[in-house]
Parts: sequence; C-alpha cells; structure tokens
Amino acid sequence: MNSYATEPRMKPPETAPMPQIAAAVESDDQTQPTMIEVEKLDFYYGKSQALHDVSIKIPANKVTAFIGPSGCGKSTLLRCFNRMNDLVDVARIGNGQIRIHGVDIHHSDVDVIALRRQVGMVFQKSNPFPKSIYENITYGLQIQGITDRKILDEVVEKSLRGAALWDEVKDRLHTSGLGLSGGQQQRLCIARAIAVEPSIILMDEPCSALDPIATSKVEELIQQLKGKFTIVIVTHNMQQAGRCSDQTAFFYLGKLIEFAKTEKIFTNPAQKQTEDYITGRFG
Amino acid sequence: MSQFWEQQLAEIREQLLLMSGLTERNLSLAMRGLVERDDKLCDTVEVEDSQIDQLEIHIDDLVITYMATHGPIARDCRLMLTASKISNNLERIADQATKIARRARELNTEPLLKPLIDIPLMAETAQEMLRDSITAFVDGNPELAVEIIARDKSVDSINKQLARELTSFMIEDPKTITRALNLLTVAKAIERVADHATNIAEEVFYLNRGEDIRHEQSLKQGS
Amino acid sequence: MHAPANPFVVQNSSARTFERVCFGIFRSATYFILICATCIFGMILFKGGKTVFQSTFPFVNVPFLTQAPETLFVFEYEGKKMQMGDKEFRAFKENLGGVDIAADSYVYSSGGVFPCIVGTVLLVLGSMFIALFIGISSAIYLNEYSKQGKLVAFIRLAIMNLAGVPSIVFGLFGLGLFVLFMPMLQNFDNPAAPSIPVGFGNYLNFSGWGVCLLSGWFTLAFMALPVVITASEESLKAVPMGFREGSLALGATKWQSIRTNVLPYALPGMLTSSILGIARVAGETAPIMFTAAYVVRDKMPWDVDHALDTLFQGVMALPYHIYVVSSKIPQNEYTERVQYGAAFVFLFIVMGIALASIVLRIKMRNRYRW
Repeated sequence: MNSYATEPRMKPPETAPMPQIAAAVESDDQTQPTMIEVEKLDFYYGKSQALHDVSIKIPANKVTAFIGPSGCGKSTLLRCFNRMNDLVDVARIGNGQIRIHGVDIHHSDVDVIALRRQVGMVFQKSNPFPKSIYENITYGLQIQGITDRKILDEVVEKSLRGAALWDEVKDRLHTSGLGLSGGQQQRLCIARAIAVEPSIILMDEPCSALDPIATSKVEELIQQLKGKFTIVIVTHNMQQAGRCSDQTAFFYLGKLIEFAKTEKIFTNPAQKQTEDYITGRFG
Repeated sequence: MSQFWEQQLAEIREQLLLMSGLTERNLSLAMRGLVERDDKLCDTVEVEDSQIDQLEIHIDDLVITYMATHGPIARDCRLMLTASKISNNLERIADQATKIARRARELNTEPLLKPLIDIPLMAETAQEMLRDSITAFVDGNPELAVEIIARDKSVDSINKQLARELTSFMIEDPKTITRALNLLTVAKAIERVADHATNIAEEVFYLNRGEDIRHEQSLKQGS
Repeated sequence: MHAPANPFVVQNSSARTFERVCFGIFRSATYFILICATCIFGMILFKGGKTVFQSTFPFVNVPFLTQAPETLFVFEYEGKKMQMGDKEFRAFKENLGGVDIAADSYVYSSGGVFPCIVGTVLLVLGSMFIALFIGISSAIYLNEYSKQGKLVAFIRLAIMNLAGVPSIVFGLFGLGLFVLFMPMLQNFDNPAAPSIPVGFGNYLNFSGWGVCLLSGWFTLAFMALPVVITASEESLKAVPMGFREGSLALGATKWQSIRTNVLPYALPGMLTSSILGIARVAGETAPIMFTAAYVVRDKMPWDVDHALDTLFQGVMALPYHIYVVSSKIPQNEYTERVQYGAAFVFLFIVMGIALASIVLRIKMRNRYRW
C-alpha cells in the first residue's frame, strides 16, 4: 500500500531552489565594459560610401560576430579597427570616430604601429610566412627589436599552447610553416597574432577556407581565447555566428541593422530584415 | 564536437531529469496525502507545482536557443523535439498531481467512502510507468519504452471498473455523490498520468530509434 | 545481332586539316629558329674554337687570353713563311742584328684580347650593379609606396619609352651628360666649363667625367634599367599580398615589412632580370663607343696613382674590339681569326656571368622558398 511512497530517482532537496531562468535579454549589454566604440561612422572608398552612420559598442572579453550579405560593409568596418584600410589609397573616413580604450584611433597622436600591436588580425586566407614555425611566431617580437632567445622561446611555447597547436608542432618548430595543414596554418596565424599580446583579435572569415574538422578546432579555440581577448569575427556562416559568438551585429548595405545578444538575434530578431537574412530569405 | 556545446546539450538533459524528479515527487506526495489523509502534503504539492511550470518554460527556452544557434541535426535534432514534448508531458503530470492533491484535501474533510484499494493500485502502476519511462530516457532503452506502452491498458481497465463501481455507489446513496465524484476525478487524473507516461515512452522510442510509434494500436494490446 | 555502331569514330573534317596545317607551320617556325641559332653558335664555336683552342697542351690558346692585341707581321725568312707579333718580331730582328725584313703587317691580328676581356667584365659588373640598385629601388617605390596618379603614370610611360630608345642614342646621351657635363670636384677653377665654388679652394667643375668606366657604367645601366625595373616590379607583384598584410598587422613599419617579408622572396625574380639585363648590356657597342671604350689602350685601368682614379679610366671592350677588327681595318684571313676568337671569348664570358647569376638565383630560391 505504500509502494507509491518509494523515493523518486532524483532526490531534489525539500526546498528545491528556483532554477535559473535565462535573464531577460538586453539589446546591447550596457553593463559590460566597452572595448571598441564606433560613433556615427561614415566610410568611403573613393566616391562610393561603404559605411553609413554606424554606431556600435563592442564589449570587452566577449566574442562579437558581424554578419550580413556580401558587400554590406562588415569586413570594411573590421579593417577600420586596426587601420588596415590605410593600405588602400582611395579609402577614407568621413564623419564619425572609432575609439579603442577610449582613444580616437584616427587621431594624429596615435601611432599606427602601436595600434596594430594592440589590435591583432587573422585573415581569411591563412598567410603563414614562408619561414619556420618558430620564426613566424617570433616575427612580431623581432620587429620590435626583441632578440633575447629565452624570451622568444617562452613566447613561442606560450602562443602555441594558447592556440592549441603546441602538441602538434613542438617537435618541428624549425620546419617551414607552409608544411602544415590548412587548419594548422590558421591556428599558427592565430598563435602569431596572440604572441604580441594584443587586447583585441579581429578575425575576417577565419574558417571559410577550412574543412569542418579544422573549423571546429578553430571555433573551440575562439571559445578558449575569449576570456583573455576581445574577439570580433566576421563570418558568412550563420551557424558559426550562432555557435561562437556572444553578441551578433547584422549589417546591410553599409548600415548596422541590429546588434544584440546572439540568442536573441537567432530566436527572435527585432528587425524583419535581420530575420529574412538569417532564415535565408535573401542574401 | 567540442566540450562547450556538449555542455549545452547536457544541461537540457539535466533540467529534464530535474523536472522529472520533481514531478515524481509531487505525484508521490499527492498520493500520500490522499491515502494518509494528510493535508500538509497536499499543500506542499500545490506549492512545488509552480517550480515545475517554470522548469517547462526554462527547458523550452534552452531548446529553442540551442536549435537556433546550433542548427542541430540527426539525434540532436530529435533530442530537441522530444525534450520539449517530454517536458510538456511532465508538466501535465504535475498538473494532474495538483488536481489529485486538491481532491484529496476535499476528501479528507469527510470519512472514507470505501477502503482505497483500486486507486492506489492504479497509482502504483502509473508511477512505475513514469519512473520507467524516465529510466528509458536516461538509459537510452527503447525496448523498455515499448513495454511501458503496453501497461497503459491495465490502468485504463481499472479506471473503467472503478467508474462503474462508484456510479453504483452514487445511485444507491446520493449522500456519497461528492466523495464519489472526487474519487472519480482522482482516478481520471491517474489515468491521465499513465497516458502522459505513455507519451513520454513514445518520445523516448522516437529519440532512440527515429521511428514514430504514436497512435500504434497494436502496441497497446498487451497487459 | 551486330555490334552497335561506334559513336566516337574519328571523322576527318576541314577543321582537322586546317589544324594540322597550322601546327605544321608552328613547328617549322620553331625548328627554323633552332636552325638559325645552331648556325650562328655553330659558326662562332667552330671558327672561334680554332683560335681559342689548340691541339697541344694546355689545349687553350693562353696567349690569346692573356695578352694585349698586337700588330701581326707576316714575312718570309730563309724560305719559310713566318708570322710574329710585334714584340716578337722586334726581338727577332734584334737577334739578327737589326736587319730590316720586309713584312706585311696586319693590325690587331696578333696577341690577344686580354684588356678587352677585362674591360667588358668590368663594364658589365659595374653597370649591372648600378642598374640593379637603381632599378630595384625604383621598382620598390613604384610598387609599394607610390599612389596611383598622373605622376606615376608619367614615370611608367617614361620607363617604357626608355626601353625603345636606340642604343646609339644612348651613346650620345651618355656622351652629352656623363662624358661632357657631369661635375667633378677639383681644386681649381676650370675656365672652359661652368663651375661652382664650394669652399676651401675647391670647385665643382661641370667639365664631365670624360671617357671612362664611370660614364660607361651609367650609360649601360640606363640601358638595362627598363628591363630591370619591369622584371623587379613583376617579382614584387608576385609576392602575395598576404605577406605584407600579415606583417603590417603585427605592427611592422612598411619598410620592415618589405625588407623582411617581401624583398627576400622577390629577389630570385629580380636576379632573373639581371640575367636579361646582362644580355642586353654586355653586347652593346654603340653606347660604350663614346663613353668608355678606347680602340686601343696599353695601360690596364688599375695602373694609376690613386685607387679612385681607376673609375676615371677608359677601357677596351670586346664588342668594340670586334667592331674595330671587323670594319675599321681591311679584312683578311688573319683578322677573321681574331674576330671569331674574340666573339667566342665574348659569348663565353656573357654566358659565364649569366650562369653565375642563375646559380645565385637558384641558391636564393632554395633559401627563400615560398
């Protein structure tokens, strides 16, 4: 008669605490410290305007994804952050400012070299230098004049461990970087970027040339890195943005359409354009 | 797959198990409140029910977030669908438990109509079915699920028999109507619990085998 | 039941015939080139070999390679026909007691071409060094630093035009600028030329460098420039943009990026251009006629009091020597010997320098593989 009184398998405490419900989603997380602040930015390539009045606050130590169809300006904005657009003759900034650590990066007081050390970049097509793995990683330090072998050795090990590549290459540090597989090359480029200890890492479609296994290794690496670095990743791959990022920004035709927590964008975007893009109805 | 995303899937499973544990507990407390005629147990059941409701919302939130951000396929995709449905069924079971508790409180204000034999028997079967369906989910055991579905018939038959018996009580003596109706409601609630446990078993089968066995009459023949 | 018809059977058609005819023409043209090249090289090797090689040890006509040109005297003595160079003839006459012997003399048909070899090698090396330096610097500027605009377009046009300038015009240019006009720092005021005093009793006299190595170097360098600049630019363009972007993104200055990450990988291509440049420069006669070469010179360029004066010495050169021997003096069997011998040696030297450049390029390519 008392068989129904047997204990249930899971023994919840008599007063089980209220389970954590996902916090109400905020549009852009105002409570986080901001690493990069873009204010009303206009950007031109020659006569055509690539970015229109873009304002966005990128939070520190999180992964922010930029998504949008081709030509929407996401790569342009990314390359503004470390002023790689300076390499293009016809590119120029119009109104607006980009502030990193509170400093306007286009101000004449700012040394572009120092900026680029603080803001590292990983490119779409992995571009390891045709030097040895060791020299690839120490390149960033050697151009600063650091030649102490001990320091360089330490940095090489630290960076390769940080990029989850140490175990795979520790026995062949002095072989050419070009001898690695595609995924390893990209991780080598990431190791090279983190060797100079930037605070921000920009990634321009880092996995677009990689197979799924290499892609998942790089994505896992991004998750490991985000605690120490602010990461901004441009991607065409919706699932990648969903898997990797904490915040997502959707761009279209040079304008920022929506910027919010990734969960919100992917479950209930506020703008119809965003929804149409991520469900594949256009773009 | 890396550990990070496995964790998210593991969390969904954990929340489901938490919810099932709370539901089983509530059901068992409600039955004890009925049989031992203890109103305090019935109050506890009503209070705990809101937790279970919140868990259903939470699990659905986790499921849709995972689906939207990861686009799962194959077993992971089936897990999303079945997790949502299992949590829904568990919530309904918990609601039935609350109903039993309320009816028990009313029944406790009057003396017993007749010794409780059938209802605890039904309840024991229904609780076993619930427990086993959760075991099947945890162990990934679709054969157990099929077996559970077969037991639903016995609960249904006890329920029918009890309805006949209580109807005759009510006809003989109109003063017993209130208690009889309450007992009928309790029996109906337990029969609903068994149905929901059957649903959970069907979902577990679908999760593991990828075959949809809902509404298969042949499976319900056994006893 | 017969086998199904072969749907892929070969069909003859006018298109196929036309194709065969065209390929026949292409093949003949290629073989024609081969034949011409074989004839030219064959003739030089055969006839020149007669002068340069000999049948006895050490199998190479060493005096030809180590002596200056001399006049050949052909005479009969005691019934024997003898040939002797100038010094030898004088010594021979001395031995006979100063007797006068009637002899036919042939200018430059005896001795060797050693000063010409030295002059050609010096001219080629010096001019290539200058051409590579100026050319690579320009290529780096044009490719890496300059902004696209009217000025750069004009510069590129100028370089292209430079490639089309006839060599004799280069010679005149070299004459007008380097030989007659370039400033010399001297401690006196030259009344015949514009001069600028620069203090301490020194004057910058625009009297020209004269016919000398320096003038020749610069003239020849300018001739090789278009080839060097174009090939260097192509080599720089071939280095992927990713190297530059990668190094700039790590905080390198533009020059650091170029020096460490672009130049080493473009160098093999640039050295290839040097081979092409050598080919152009070594064989030119017209530019050096007015600017660096003497018909005959008895001193070596380093026979000077101050080391720096070597730069201001003129030299003999193989192409000019061949020209002189072939056209400035009457032709006979003796001059023909010298012509072909000189041509053989000349080809050999040019190929030797080109080979050295190829070897260097292969070594660099192995070291900077990408």
